[in-house]
Amino acid sequence: MARQSNGKSLWGRAFSNLWYFFNSLKLTIAVLISLATVSILGTVVEQNKPVEFYLTTYPRFGKLITAVNVDNLFHSWWYTALLLALAVNIIVCTFERFPPKWKSLLNHKQEKFDPKVIERFAHSRSVSVSADAAAVNDRVGRILKKMRFNVVSSVHGGDYFYYAWKGAISRLGSDFTHISLLLMLAGSIIGSYYGYKDYRFIYVGDTVDAPNAEFKIRLDKFWVDQYETGQIKQYNSLITVIDHGKEVLTKQIWVNEPLSYRGIRFYQSDYGMAWDRVDTAYIAPKNIKTGVVGAPVPIKWGATEKIPGTKYSVKVVGYLADFAYDEKTNSVGSISADANNPAVRLEIYNGDKLVASPWIFRNYPGIFPAIPADKGVDLVFATFKPILYSGLSVNKDPGTNVVWAGALVMGVGFIFAFFIFHRRVWVHVRQEGLTTEVKVGGMINKNNILFEKELKRITEFVEKGDRSK
Amino acid sequence: MILSLLFFTFSFVFYVLTAVLYAGHWVFKKKWLGQTATAMSYIALASTTLILIFRAAEARHAPFSNLFESMILFIWATNVGYLVLEYKHKQRVIGVFVMTIESIAMLSAALLPYKFKSVEPLNPALQSKWHWMQDLLSHVGLEQYAIGWLDFHVFSTFVGYGAFAISFGLGIMYLLKGWFEEKGRSNVLIDMFPDTAMLDELGYRAIAWGFPFLSIGIISGAVWADYAWGTYWSWDPKETWSLITWLIYATYLHARVTRGWRGKRAAILSVAGFLAVIFLYWGVSFVLPGLHAYA
Ligand code: HEM
Repeated sequence: MARQSNGKSLWGRAFSNLWYFFNSLKLTIAVLISLATVSILGTVVEQNKPVEFYLTTYPRFGKLITAVNVDNLFHSWWYTALLLALAVNIIVCTFERFPPKWKSLLNHKQEKFDPKVIERFAHSRSVSVSADAAAVNDRVGRILKKMRFNVVSSVHGGDYFYYAWKGAISRLGSDFTHISLLLMLAGSIIGSYYGYKDYRFIYVGDTVDAPNAEFKIRLDKFWVDQYETGQIKQYNSLITVIDHGKEVLTKQIWVNEPLSYRGIRFYQSDYGMAWDRVDTAYIAPKNIKTGVVGAPVPIKWGATEKIPGTKYSVKVVGYLADFAYDEKTNSVGSISADANNPAVRLEIYNGDKLVASPWIFRNYPGIFPAIPADKGVDLVFATFKPILYSGLSVNKDPGTNVVWAGALVMGVGFIFAFFIFHRRVWVHVRQEGLTTEVKVGGMINKNNILFEKELKRITEFVEKGDRSK
Repeated sequence: MILSLLFFTFSFVFYVLTAVLYAGHWVFKKKWLGQTATAMSYIALASTTLILIFRAAEARHAPFSNLFESMILFIWATNVGYLVLEYKHKQRVIGVFVMTIESIAMLSAALLPYKFKSVEPLNPALQSKWHWMQDLLSHVGLEQYAIGWLDFHVFSTFVGYGAFAISFGLGIMYLLKGWFEEKGRSNVLIDMFPDTAMLDELGYRAIAWGFPFLSIGIISGAVWADYAWGTYWSWDPKETWSLITWLIYATYLHARVTRGWRGKRAAILSVAGFLAVIFLYWGVSFVLPGLHAYA
């Protein structure tokens, strides 16, 4: 595109200068190499760490690294600018180059040409056959057809002229590839604007809201599969989707098998035990004098059960996985989510009367008597059945399908660009006395070796007819 | 472990022998040496195939799940690629270079520490199977061997690596021959190489195979990551290095098609590309931290 500075506004000139800048294949190479080079930095310098990390790991460059966003290189404005330059480069180059290419693909047929052109092609051959032109011409037509060339032919003054071509679609391969890149880029932009990532943990049996959506999900079951060796094989959750009060679908998910509903996907991400409640606590009576402990009684969370052999009934009202007492605030809590020091809080009734509400400890049975007023019976916390939760990554990315569409277009582009070749062949058949001379030449957009072989095949067939292999 | 390691040992010997035979053919120009070398590379291929088959039987899943297994796959793919090349272009000198690369690859696989070699059951994240394939195979009781995005990802990536290894060999040959020609020297061995135009063209053809396979590998990896992690791209070092490698080969293709880079500059780019592949494959696993367990 020529630059015309006269008769144009400042904006017009700026635009045509920009257009000129982006209509450059040198720029393509420069951008590709720049992207490759700076990406290396992003793998050498660990990404997305706190500022202090860079200051201590790289005493000399730490400040610089954070100042120019090398700590978050792939989302920095200048990396984005490079990607944008690539996109604009593709768009401008396609605008400039595609229309003429398309025209020449449509109007390329040459019924009549100067036979001298044939020798000027990078690939050409000629053979003399002792047969008349009509017979040779017949062979040329047959071999071109056999090799699936498209052919236009004509006769001028006893000479035969052929123009043959195939694989023209190969020329569109690069365009498909470039458009596919634009699609993928577009998909990733859509994803970064309209997508989100979130996390939900759900106790078995519970229902929670899906983030930014009108439906709920319920965790029906969670379990871990193991190999015979005990190694973990898979984590599984059985999830039910509840949309406006109706159960619409139930699916088992595991790592690599998400649940997808209305564009929102739920991934098995982790799991654990609840730290603040249990499914069932097992409480056993203990005779303080003899030290004999009776059979543990399973008590469901929130339920009240009689303890056989005593006058008490017990309700489980509290649980802490890693019990700790804070003197300053006079309160209790769990210092971790792991069952290092599990404790349950009981309400102990004698008939209808609440007689005690102690915390008792699985690891320290009897350090505090459960019922201070009763010197004969104590209660011990034997064990418990935990409530499991399943941790789900939740994510929505409406751009993903655009990216996959881009991938498909890229596949088509690659087939065109790398496995189909555009050949154009010119043939001139001329009889001189008793022999006929055949000149064959032409061009291929890539894969010269193949083309040489094909030209050889044509001339051999012309020489030997069906006897050539 | 027994049968696959047995065939591993056989294959190692076979590859070294094949490389020696091709070299012998190159130096002594005896036709029978060349034919034996070709026969030997088919035998090596068969033996490599058996390693993969026995591995699959021992591990009860497709044998692409650790560094050792993926090396075997790389060696297998390179061998297949080379045999196609030899069949089409009948240039046995190239075999000297490719089979040397194969022997080196065998050696590095052999030297891997035990923990990269052992047969392991798949951890949760590696279990992705195509349901349609499981359903199909369950009719014959082989659903364990169904593959999924992960296997597909590894397989096509490694076919790409194989093609790049071949283009690397061709690039080296080009540079050697080009150097001798520039200096105006002649050497009987170098004269045996195909002419530079052919080396250049074959190098390009190898990349024209490698590039789409690497691309399919990257994309199928993204599909799998989308299933496993919920994001198709997370810029971890392995992903980023695959992008870097891909960009280098995209540069090669553009420089060639749009700016007429042929010959020496193209050969240098293809050598650089393969160095990036080696880093992508081994360097990232051992040097940089990341999510990919291997490969
Ligand atoms: C700045 C962006 C880019 C521009 C302006 C650009 C431009 C071009 C042009 C003009 C061609 C030659 C077309 C022909 O021979 O008919 C081409 C070919 C091609 N481009 Fe690009 N390109 C860009 C980026 C990319 C990228 C990032 C890729 C990576 C996949 C790519 C893949 C291809 C392929 C596969 C071909 C065909 C190569 C062949 O035929 O051997 N392009 N590109």
